[in-house]
This record gives sequence, structure tokens and C-alpha cells, in this order.
Amino acid sequence: MTQITRRLALTGIAATLPRFAIGQSDQRPSITVAVQKIANTNTTDPMREQSSNVSERWLGSILENLIGRNQQGQLERVPALATSWRRIDATTVELSLRPNVVLHNGDMLNAEDVAFSFGSERMFGADVPTDVRAVAKRYWPALERIDIVDRATIRVVNSKPDVTLEGRLSAGGGQIVSRRSWQEAGSWQANARLATGSGPYLLSSFKPDSEMVLEAHDQYWGGRPPLRRIRLLEVPEQASRIAGLRAGEYQFACDISPDQIGEIERDPKLAVKGGLVLNHRILAFDKQHPALVDPRVRLAMAHAIDGQAIVDSVWAGRAKVPAGLQWPFYGPMFVEGWTVPKFDPVLAQNLLRAAGYKGEVITYRARNNYYTAEIATAQILVEMWRAVGLNVQLEVKENWGQVLDKAGPRGVRDWSNSPTFDDPISSIVNQHGPNGAQAGNGEWSNTEMNTLSAALESGTDIAERKRIFARMLQICERDDPAYVVLHQNATFTGLRRDLPWQAPPSFFLDFGPKGWRA
Amino acid sequence: MIGFLGLRLLRAALTIVLVVSFAFIVLRLSGDPAMTIMSPEAPPEAIAAFRTAWGLDRPVWEQYFSYFGAILQGELGQSMRDGRPAMAVVLERIPATLMLTIPALIVKVGIGVPAGVFAALYRNSWIDRLVMALAVAGFTVPSFVLGLILVLIFAVSLGWLPSGGQDSWRNIILPVITMSLGGAGVLARFTRSAMLEVLGQPYIRTATAKGVPWAAVVRGHALPNAAIPTVTIVGFMVGTLIAGAVVVESVFSWPGVGRLLVVAVANRDLAIVQCILLLVAVTMVTANFIVDLLYGVLDPRLRGTASTGAH
Repeated sequence: MTQITRRLALTGIAATLPRFAIGQSDQRPSITVAVQKIANTNTTDPMREQSSNVSERWLGSILENLIGRNQQGQLERVPALATSWRRIDATTVELSLRPNVVLHNGDMLNAEDVAFSFGSERMFGADVPTDVRAVAKRYWPALERIDIVDRATIRVVNSKPDVTLEGRLSAGGGQIVSRRSWQEAGSWQANARLATGSGPYLLSSFKPDSEMVLEAHDQYWGGRPPLRRIRLLEVPEQASRIAGLRAGEYQFACDISPDQIGEIERDPKLAVKGGLVLNHRILAFDKQHPALVDPRVRLAMAHAIDGQAIVDSVWAGRAKVPAGLQWPFYGPMFVEGWTVPKFDPVLAQNLLRAAGYKGEVITYRARNNYYTAEIATAQILVEMWRAVGLNVQLEVKENWGQVLDKAGPRGVRDWSNSPTFDDPISSIVNQHGPNGAQAGNGEWSNTEMNTLSAALESGTDIAERKRIFARMLQICERDDPAYVVLHQNATFTGLRRDLPWQAPPSFFLDFGPKGWRA
Repeated sequence: MIGFLGLRLLRAALTIVLVVSFAFIVLRLSGDPAMTIMSPEAPPEAIAAFRTAWGLDRPVWEQYFSYFGAILQGELGQSMRDGRPAMAVVLERIPATLMLTIPALIVKVGIGVPAGVFAALYRNSWIDRLVMALAVAGFTVPSFVLGLILVLIFAVSLGWLPSGGQDSWRNIILPVITMSLGGAGVLARFTRSAMLEVLGQPYIRTATAKGVPWAAVVRGHALPNAAIPTVTIVGFMVGTLIAGAVVVESVFSWPGVGRLLVVAVANRDLAIVQCILLLVAVTMVTANFIVDLLYGVLDPRLRGTASTGAH
């Protein structure tokens, strides 16, 4: 057995002192956040993690856009890596870069990093995976080039007039990465796991399907990050996330279903924060289904739904029936006075009678609680439809491939829609327009909608664009229903009551200086 | 012996081919990996590009033969989620799984076999009834229920142990207990049955009549002869070491092969699923092979039949 001599003891004490001093110098807390899933594709790049509210929780802590979103407000545009921007013409936006922005690798942000972030090596070139190029094309359908005016000024130049350029710059696909780190990583795939940006936290480690560790980026331009370390732990089971939260092992537990909120808040040390987010739960129609060819049957299905009853019973009133497929953050493009089809069983029955519906089976494909309370909602819907004489058969599927499988009858299915930026192009056109997923899957397409989509994309007059959007809503929600909006989604996060965290109106877990008000 | 070994290896290879073929067909026909990994919101062109990149647009039979061709060259493919080699992804998870399954196997054998022996030796007594009641409870309670109950008691209420994760040796305790109790129950019941059968044999009576002490009879005659059914079950448990913790790893957020399998199946990440199944099949076949050899060691009467491959 080793003898502990005085010299050995003193050496040991001396060895531990400096570390202890360093530890004491940083009093900021470290937290562990239990999430259901960290990433869909095991990458940290938004071009791969596209369409994902999974990675939205942490991406903004690492990578930032030129134009940001006010996470403590209503997600309106705010200066981020650009301090200001102005329109040069219908195809060009000029942005002034924020000075003294230190990237996670120690470099100073410059115009070359910005140009690189939108360039061929990252988005459009032959070495970029083909699926990523297609995603980039959706984010930037007509991006021509980035002009470097000087080290602190760049211009985003589109090949076509586009009033949404500023919105696109604030959304997914507009994040700025370090050119040097990207090129040093060696390949697109290698880089996609090593996001190096300018956010308040830098990526320290990432174990796919297990954990991600973020460390404070103390040179952050927005102020010293309030947390020393954030550990995101993948805990797939909600019961396990709640147990860990109650046991004090996790300070945050994400993706809490509404029925568990009361249970968590029964513990005086815990709270649940969160609320409405930019995501609407919808049902998408396949109008090729023999019973759904007549739009009156689809409209009848919409009128048979009591959305408020679903919000009250399944969501304990914490969600909301919205004004159709739009969000107030559209600003001038928001169509006031528009509503989802009202709950009117008599009208639904009249429509079915007029359409000659004879009780044909309509298949309803859902997934096993991919969306919060999905199965409960589906069962309620089937009963609401049954009450007006609709014969809807629920089929629970394991994955999206099965939901969209063309073999067998497709009638109606579960889906959701998030606007990636503050314009209807990001939602109604992206999902239901001529190049949207619903048309791509062969479920729904409408000639007038397709024409209007092109006009909305190239239009620059706000009043005319708003008129076009209103007509689109009329087509997609009344005349030739493509979908039914059920409710606006909400997300809830359980946390220790004493933590000064403010929940933003999005899936993003904002642990930056503004989101954590110590 | 060489003939026996050759036959066993041939059967093992056939089993592996069947397992992998079955998994290939089921996974290919039950969901589109492109749609699952990319999400339905992805642009149709992106989904089409994904399918082309991974060969999913080719006929299934063509994919099947090129997959087997690649396996024969030692190439098990790449994960469709992040492009990493499938074998590397699976191998990096195996240590975590073995950290649970090996201690669990030791606990199962350490509790189950002595409990079964005691129950048999004290047949129809309160000890027997108590042991068997606990054994039935052990293997009838689903592991996800048992796991959550243990978490509520030892992590949430008492705060003695962590509820999940892989931070220290303390994180191992609850998952190992959860995995062990069911297996221990099964082993206890099998061991008891085997012991009761052996204890009723004439040679036990003869040994007792000759004045051999009861402890020596049990140790020298009953236990070795009762070991064959127990070894069979333990062999099966050894075969599940790699992927035997699917549910427990999910409940305890343990980043092992079981969790990887769940995620890979959900995403139809075919190369990963097939790689895991291949390893499981190899482990299972190897375990069965070793058990077959052990039969000969435990029971000299079986040596002749083993060498001819007969049973």
C-alpha cells in the first residue's frame, strides 16, 4: 500500500490548487437539458437538419444569421451579425457587418466568411451532397451572388425581384459559418458535424443520439454568456425526462405533453414554461382519393371539426385555433378577419349530401404521437367526423414513408406547417405550392394556386401580394381544400422554478444573455 | 469432430444469411428511408436526390444483391443519417451495452441459479413458494415498468441513484437491476425444474443409500446433471448480450446498441440495422455453438452424438 508522506500530500494539494482556483473564478452555472432528440441527421448543419424543430432548440446558440429574430418578443427581425441593412433595389440588399465579432475558432468575422456561407462549397457546388443542394435551392431559389463591397459591407444579389430576401436572411439556411474551420474540416460531411459560428456557445462535443455539450463563448459580441456549460442529453422517454427533472439531475426537461404540466407543477420546486410556437398542426388531403375528389367533402370534413374543443380538452386551453395558415408575425401580409372553417355540423352534413357522399371509407393516416397528443387528437377527429356521417378509418403508421406510401388508399393525414421566415412563401407556398411537398407527393395541386405562387414569389407590391395571399387561403382552405388547420402548436419545457429563463415563442432554447436574466 | 464443426458452421452461416435477408426485405418494404430521414417537409428534389445517392431508386432485388456482394467484400455500408461507416457506428456503442449486459448476466446467474437450487431442495416449503413467487413476478413485470418504478423509488423519492445517463458507475445500478430480475426469475424456474427431475433419479437414491452426505450428493451428482437446461438458457442470454437491452437503454437513456437499433429502425437506416443484426446473429450462433460443446463437457454420454452432429 502506498505510504502518504508529507511531501506526497503537499504535492497533491499543490496540484489541485490551480484547478480549484480556475473553477472558482467562473461562478456561472452549468445545466443539463433533457431533450427527446438532439438531431435528426446526426449533424450540426442547418442544411442537413432542415425542416427540423429538433435542432432548432440549440442551433441558434452556435450559429447566427446576419439578421436575427427577437426571441424575447414576437420574433420580429433584429440586427444580429449585421448591424443594419437596406434595399438597393428589388433584387439587392446591402448589409453592414457587425464589427469585432469573434468566431468560435478565434477568428474575426469578415465579409469572406459571409460570402463563403452562401457559396458553392457550402451550398451549391458539385462537392456538396445532392440532397443538400436541393435544400439550398429551396432556401435560396434565385440567389445569384454575394458581393463584398468592403470588409464590413456585403450585398446579397438575387437574380429575380424578391421581397423576402431579408426574411430568408433571418431563417434557416442563412446561418454564417467560419470559412477557415469549414475548409480545414476536409469534407462537407466532416464539417456538418463541427458547426463553427459566432453564437454565445460553442460546440464542445457531440455524441450522436446521446449528448451534445456546449461551452460558453466568452468573446460573444452580445455579452458574456450566462451559463458556463450546457449539456443536452437525449432522453427519448417523457417519463424518464420528468423523473430526471424531479430527481434534480436535469435542470430542464423539454417536450412536456400538456397532460403532464399539472403533475410537474405539483412539485413546488418545479415550473413549466412555454406556449404557442410558430407551428400549426394541420391535416393534409389527398384529393385523388375517390371520396375526396369533390371539394365539398373535404370542406365538410373541415366544418365537422370543433378545433376549440380539441384545444380545450387535449391542450388544456394552452394551444389556440389560429386564423388559418398564417401568423401575426407576417406583419403587413397578415390577412385580418380570416378564420378557419367554423365548426358547423349541419353545414357539413348539407355539403356531404350535396356532394353525393354515400359513406365511402376515407383513410386517415397518423403516426404514433409524432406530434404531441397525436393519437388522442386523431381519435377525437374520427368521432367528430362520424357524427356528421363521415366514415373515416384511422390507420396508425410507423414512419413518414408509410404515411405517404402511394400503395393503398390515401385520404387524409397528419402534418404540420412552420413558417421559416415572415412571409407566406415560407409556409403556404413551400408546402402547398407547385414545388411543395404536397404536390410532390401527388396529394394535391391546383392550377390557380400554382399561378398565384409564382406571382407571390416575384411580386414586390405589398398590397397586391396580400391580395394574392388572401386568394390562396380561399383556395386552400375553402374552394379546393388542401388542408385543414387544427390548432397552433405549443411547446412546454419543465424546469427548476428558481432558474431565470424566459421561454421564447419558438422551439429555440435561448440561453443567451437575453434569454437567461440572472 | 471436424464434420460436426463444419455442419454447425454451415448452419450458422445459413442462419445469418436468412436473418440479414429477412431484415433487408422487411425494412425495404416498410418505409422509405429518404422520407423518414429527410422529413416530409423536405423539397421533393432533395428526397429524390437522397434516394439516388443511396441507391434506393434501384429495384429491390438489385439492392439486395449489391448489398450481399458488398458484405462478402467486408463492406457493411454507411449510415444514411450521417454517412459514417455502419460498423464503426455500431462498434462504438458496444462497450456501453456490455457495461450493462455483462453485469446483468452475472447477477442473473448469481441470483437465479442458487434460488432455483434452494427452491428445489426445499420443495413445497415456504422457501420454495417465496422463491417461485418472486421469480414469476420478476419475469412477468415488463422491464420498462420495472425500470420506471425503480427510478421513482431510488432516484426521485430517495435520491440515492441517478435516473439515467452514463456519467458514473452509479448509473449502471438501476439498469442492471432492471435487466437482471426477469432473467434471474427465468433461470430460477428452469434450475428448479431441472434439479427436481435429477433429484428423483435412481442414482441420487443410490448415492444417498450408500451413505454419501447429502451436500456431496447435491454438489457431485445433482448439480452437474441439472446443469444442461440451465446452460442452454444461459447460452441464450449470452447470445443477447449485444442487443438485449433495447427497452432498458431507452428508459435509462443509455447510449448503447439497443438505443441505436431503435433509432436506426425508426429511421430505416438500413446499413446500421443490418450491421447490428449481423452482429447479433453471429453472437447468438457462436453462443449456441459453445453451448453445444459444453453439453459434451457436462455430460460424457453426449460426446459421441456431438462428434457425429446428431442430437
